[in-house]
Amino acid sequence: MIVNGVAIDDTFAEAFSMKATRLVITAHNATWARHAVLALTGFATSVIACGCEAGIERELSAQETPDGRCGVAVLVFAVSGKELAKQIERRVGQCVLTCPTTAVFAGLIEGEPIALGKNLRFFGDGWQISKMIEGRRYWRVPVLDGEFVCEETTPVIKGVGGGNLLLLARDTDAALAGAEEAVAAMRRLPGVILPFPGGVVRSGSKVGSKYTSSPASTNDAFCPSLIGLAARTELTPDVRCVLEIVIDGLTDNAVAAAMRAGIAAITGRGAAAGVTRISAGNYGGKLGPFHFHLREMAASL
Amino acid sequence: MSEVRLRLRNAPTLRVDLRGVTPLALAKLPEDEIARTTVWHGNEVLALGELFVIEQRLRDDDKTALALEGDLARFDRLGWQLDGGHVEVDGNIGHYVGAEMRAGSVRIRGRAGAFAACEMHGGELRIDGDVGDFAAASLPGSMDGMRGGTLLVGGNAGERCGDRMRRGTVLIAGRVGDFVASRMVAGTIAVAGAISAHPAFGMRRGTLVLASARPVLLPTFVSTQHDLSVIWRLLAASLARIFAPYGTQFALLEQRLPLRCAGDLAVEGKGEVLFFD
Repeated sequence: MIVNGVAIDDTFAEAFSMKATRLVITAHNATWARHAVLALTGFATSVIACGCEAGIERELSAQETPDGRCGVAVLVFAVSGKELAKQIERRVGQCVLTCPTTAVFAGLIEGEPIALGKNLRFFGDGWQISKMIEGRRYWRVPVLDGEFVCEETTPVIKGVGGGNLLLLARDTDAALAGAEEAVAAMRRLPGVILPFPGGVVRSGSKVGSKYTSSPASTNDAFCPSLIGLAARTELTPDVRCVLEIVIDGLTDNAVAAAMRAGIAAITGRGAAAGVTRISAGNYGGKLGPFHFHLREMAASL
Repeated sequence: MSEVRLRLRNAPTLRVDLRGVTPLALAKLPEDEIARTTVWHGNEVLALGELFVIEQRLRDDDKTALALEGDLARFDRLGWQLDGGHVEVDGNIGHYVGAEMRAGSVRIRGRAGAFAACEMHGGELRIDGDVGDFAAASLPGSMDGMRGGTLLVGGNAGERCGDRMRRGTVLIAGRVGDFVASRMVAGTIAVAGAISAHPAFGMRRGTLVLASARPVLLPTFVSTQHDLSVIWRLLAASLARIFAPYGTQFALLEQRLPLRCAGDLAVEGKGEVLFFD
């Protein structure tokens, strides 16, 4: 299948169930909200070693936040509810509680609740105050700039992690430009994050390794440097740079919409812009329950 | 859904205990059985049919309702332990209205007696007129007052409003009597009008919001000067929403920041009184 000169592989992205939550972080102004959120979502690119995958969903205006201040919506994904609770407590405790003027709220309505401020309140050393407002409990912890307000719990739902697109390009410049445009288009959509730096990952991985200590290793079939060397390659000699975009979403529809937006952005630029092929990573369909077929998505554009 | 309407024939000589007369209980019964349902009148038993003209009808909304008409100032314990459905009264009601109610809604288009919403757990009780003493407080001898739900009063409230209150929200459009929020354990009381002596006496936790009154507090309250804009915006937005049927006093306060006094230090001292310059 060729769209505007860009080849769409007959393959699919394979994604997994993850536990997910949305946090809304507000602050005195957008700058401080961003400071908190950048710290919170730092080192949260992959569950392989970070404990969770987290990213900014979108910035919120004052009219969209519970306390009427500007804020940021963040999505956090982990492999289990227990791990998600651990990561939320650590990251909010070290990155939001510490950041001047911030407050943190649950961003989902329904789901299994996990602790948000429930344990962080003990930082108040007995001076913390609880406030129930319309059925939701908030904790007010005395801190040096006044009080840190945080909701007691945040709901957790089943999300989808590991949606992906592989962009095969003629060179580095073309691959970066295409990836940046696709990321910009995908980030405009609700309910998804692209957890890697700039939304893009160059170390696409496969499951397993020749070394028993590594759970994952480089996706050799898509490494341009291994054309002719690796036993199996997916690349042709004209491909000299491959970049991957990984998508985590609150629903499979959100992930599919983001992938469609990414495909549309690349095909919209055309093959002349340098990204000549779009592929996706999967594990034969045996591991993840969510299969996003590229050609079906391209056909629906 | 359905509605049972009870129209008062004549004011009774003695006080009538309406516990058990709930919308969900009556909705299941045919009209003649409703008429045979008994209530206590002083120390004698009377059938509802002797006190009220009874009608059953369908409603346009999805509520299972009980509607009462007439001056019911001698009828106590309406909505006692109510756990669902809607009750409305066109007229005054006696003591203990909504006491220990857990869910559902009660609307009184008139005055209510003492102990309204006392030990209420959930649901909404709305009284358009005045309410007597001990609203949202505890029953005599009990340690805890209101524990959840919302009490909205369009008129004035008597003394000891919110005494020993533990959770929930109380909004008073008019003025309140002495000892509002006394011995309060937690929850929120908001008063749009004036207050009387000894507000928040013995308050352990919780919030008393005064939209227009400048309180004379005990020496065991201390002024705190920190930025409480976040929690105030959350609380003010909620109060404005709940209070909307009776005016905009709280909506107007959303963009202002209150002064805060914390106390009562004679007890736990984690309560607060919020008021405006």
